Amino acid sequence: MALLELDGLTRRFGGIVAVDGVTMRVAAGEVRAVIGPNGAGKSTLFNLITGVTTPTSGTVRFDEHALTGLSAYSVCQRGVSRTFQITALFPEMTARENVRLSAQARHARRWLPLGGRNVFADAETRADAALERLGLIHVAHRPAGLLSHGDQRLLEVAMALAQRPRLLLLDEPTQGLSVEETEQAVETLSALLADGSMTVLLVEHDMEVVFRLAHMITVLHRGAVIADGAPDEVRANEDVQRAYLGGLA
Amino acid sequence: MDFLGFLVTQCLNALSQAALLFFLGVGLTLIFGIMRIVNFAHGAFFMLGAYVGYSAVHLTGSFWASLVAAPLLVGGFGAAFELGILRRLYRRDHSAFLMVTFGLTLVMGEAIRLSWGVAALEVPAPKSLSGIVFILDEPFPIYRLFLIGAGIVVALAIWQFLDRTRLGLLIRATSQNAEMVHALGTDVRLVRSAVFGIGCGLAGIGGVFAAPLVTASLGMAPNAVIDTFVIVIIGGMGSFAGSLIGALLVAFVQVFGTYYFPDLALALMYLLMLIVLVIRPGGLLGKEA
Amino acid sequence: MRILAVVVCVLALAPAGLPPYAMTLLTEALILGLFAMSLDLMVGYTRLLSFGHAAAYGLGAYAAGNLLLHTSIPLVFTILLAALCSGVVAIGVAWVCTLASGVSFSMLTLAFAQLLYAVAFKWTAVTGASDGLAGIPRSPGPFGITFFEGRAGFYYLVLACLVAAFIFCRSLVRSPFGAVLRGIRENEAKTLSLGYNTRRYKIAVVAISFTLGGLAGALYAPFAGFTNTELLFWLFSGQVLIMVIVGGTGTLIGPIIGAAFFMLVSNLLSSWTDSWALFFGAIFILFVLFAPQGIWGLATRWRSLSSTG
Repeated sequence: MALLELDGLTRRFGGIVAVDGVTMRVAAGEVRAVIGPNGAGKSTLFNLITGVTTPTSGTVRFDEHALTGLSAYSVCQRGVSRTFQITALFPEMTARENVRLSAQARHARRWLPLGGRNVFADAETRADAALERLGLIHVAHRPAGLLSHGDQRLLEVAMALAQRPRLLLLDEPTQGLSVEETEQAVETLSALLADGSMTVLLVEHDMEVVFRLAHMITVLHRGAVIADGAPDEVRANEDVQRAYLGGLA
Repeated sequence: MDFLGFLVTQCLNALSQAALLFFLGVGLTLIFGIMRIVNFAHGAFFMLGAYVGYSAVHLTGSFWASLVAAPLLVGGFGAAFELGILRRLYRRDHSAFLMVTFGLTLVMGEAIRLSWGVAALEVPAPKSLSGIVFILDEPFPIYRLFLIGAGIVVALAIWQFLDRTRLGLLIRATSQNAEMVHALGTDVRLVRSAVFGIGCGLAGIGGVFAAPLVTASLGMAPNAVIDTFVIVIIGGMGSFAGSLIGALLVAFVQVFGTYYFPDLALALMYLLMLIVLVIRPGGLLGKEA
Repeated sequence: MRILAVVVCVLALAPAGLPPYAMTLLTEALILGLFAMSLDLMVGYTRLLSFGHAAAYGLGAYAAGNLLLHTSIPLVFTILLAALCSGVVAIGVAWVCTLASGVSFSMLTLAFAQLLYAVAFKWTAVTGASDGLAGIPRSPGPFGITFFEGRAGFYYLVLACLVAAFIFCRSLVRSPFGAVLRGIRENEAKTLSLGYNTRRYKIAVVAISFTLGGLAGALYAPFAGFTNTELLFWLFSGQVLIMVIVGGTGTLIGPIIGAAFFMLVSNLLSSWTDSWALFFGAIFILFVLFAPQGIWGLATRWRSLSSTG
């Protein structure tokens, strides 16, 4: 049984069909890239999975439980963490505090109104571990708003990681990064995903990144799936080449 | 009391109430359309209009004079405030704007309290409009009929203004794409000041019209801004037609609601606002980006 | 922290040194300080802009007034009970208001306060309508202690409440719960996506804020000996918001300073001119424009600047 199952997932906004009958199976441990030209519906797809938007029709099942219609915070509590296309952080908190707040969300006593030293200690341990893995421990004390764009993108990944998600959704993690920053990010992510313990859904525009990280690729065009399979198959697919107007590398 | 007569009178009541609410709503929606912010002080400008109207009537003895003086003075003050103070806030987040307009409401409230006192002030309707007329054997105040007429005239005037005049065109264009208007050579800042002034002036004239009915009092401001907010949420922020629809809906709810549940007028507004916010949880729809 | 302890000690010595009228002013300033601090939890720490906080004060005052007039519950328990009353009502109010956010939230808080004001006018049996409740006694405290009935005794009660509330609030904002509030303030959408049911946290902070604001109102009733609808009037909601902003949001201490500043200015100016409240509103606008961090924010910045030389 696949970890994530999307069936006929559709989302309409008035006359526009943003996501059109998407059916997808993502196995546990798989790294699945979702690609497609601008406006193909990739971010909307993420929003549908994570409960930010409700589908017009279709279902989302995660680990055999229905995810459709749950609120965003409930979806997250089920083990799905995500990053955003436009960097979403807490700019005035330090990097460590950002990740600590994320880790705290999974703590049984995250709502404690007084004291909570233990909660903070546990959360900080997890936070520092995540910061280490993303190579950000040296800027842990700095306000998130003052970090470089590349570090901010990685910080978001660290925040998602600190929640020990079973499914990780990365929305264009290398967007806006310089060539060096992209290289560093890909190496970090590669190391992260090497042991195959994490299931990842990755939206990316940079094909190099896709081919280096993804096990499987799903191609969206105008909200619908036009190709689905291993990287080489997808690369050779004519429909895909046509959709991108000029073909893939 | 025969039912048809009752129905007709209450409907006319509601229409006259809708006229008043329309003055408020169209002003707020115009301001939002241009500036993308809610003018919290709108109720205060309404209140100021009522008090200025009171003084104008007492100074000149003419209600008609106050109809001219109030919107000019109130609108002028609004434009001046936008020029001097609000202009500095466009780059900051919305809560700053909300707080400053709230602060303005407080300042205006205190200024009015100082100038006119705490007692509610009676503003007499002009002799030509006082008195009643019989509709289906039910008595109905002439002043309210006048209000309905005034509302229609103003609605038509604003519609034509937006549709046919140059400034109206600029306003509509700016509400859709301010950058483009700026690129085409118009000083958008002037358009904003003008619109803010017009919006406040409309609220002010609403106050003058309302004064003979409700008396001028310090409690007008918060209630008016709540009413206005509900209207523009219903009709959609930034939509002229929406403010008309919203005004009608709120007026009918208020008039018929107050008839059947006399003590619950305010609670009804609150309830209406809740229902609207639940149905449109975003709260601010219509022309919002 | 040490400075605060010193300040509290100085305040504790006040009855020994100050004349009666100054003691009255000081007591009222402390009550307002508590009221302003309670609003800071919402406005400063969670960015929930309330234009109707007078509702909390009024609820506490009327509840305490009725309890003191019609029951023989000791003073201290009455005040706590009245505060609790306010907090419980707030849960319902917050549940409604948090259906919306931003401007809509603020409008709903105003609407609720207006509703309460209108109810207070009509519900003569409980609120005495526009006349309010009068002759509110300071009932004997628990175990027959009459210490709190006198001027100095009541002052110590108020001071104790303020200090206790301050310590509680400080712990609250430094707790895991407080960390979530901060997340909501800086980026609510992100906080939601991290798995927090932000609406529940908002309801909780409003309830706590109302409880402490209600405590202030509950202290006011026996302090002044009367309550009336002025306590629910929208201008009063505005004044407490001014205290918070001018004092410095998100600092707990700032609003207390704001309240003290308010009392000082209103008492000094009111002997010269009637328009001190107008002056205050103007100061508010100026602060929002040019010094949004408030008096305490300016002071701490000045202090850190001068210490780094």
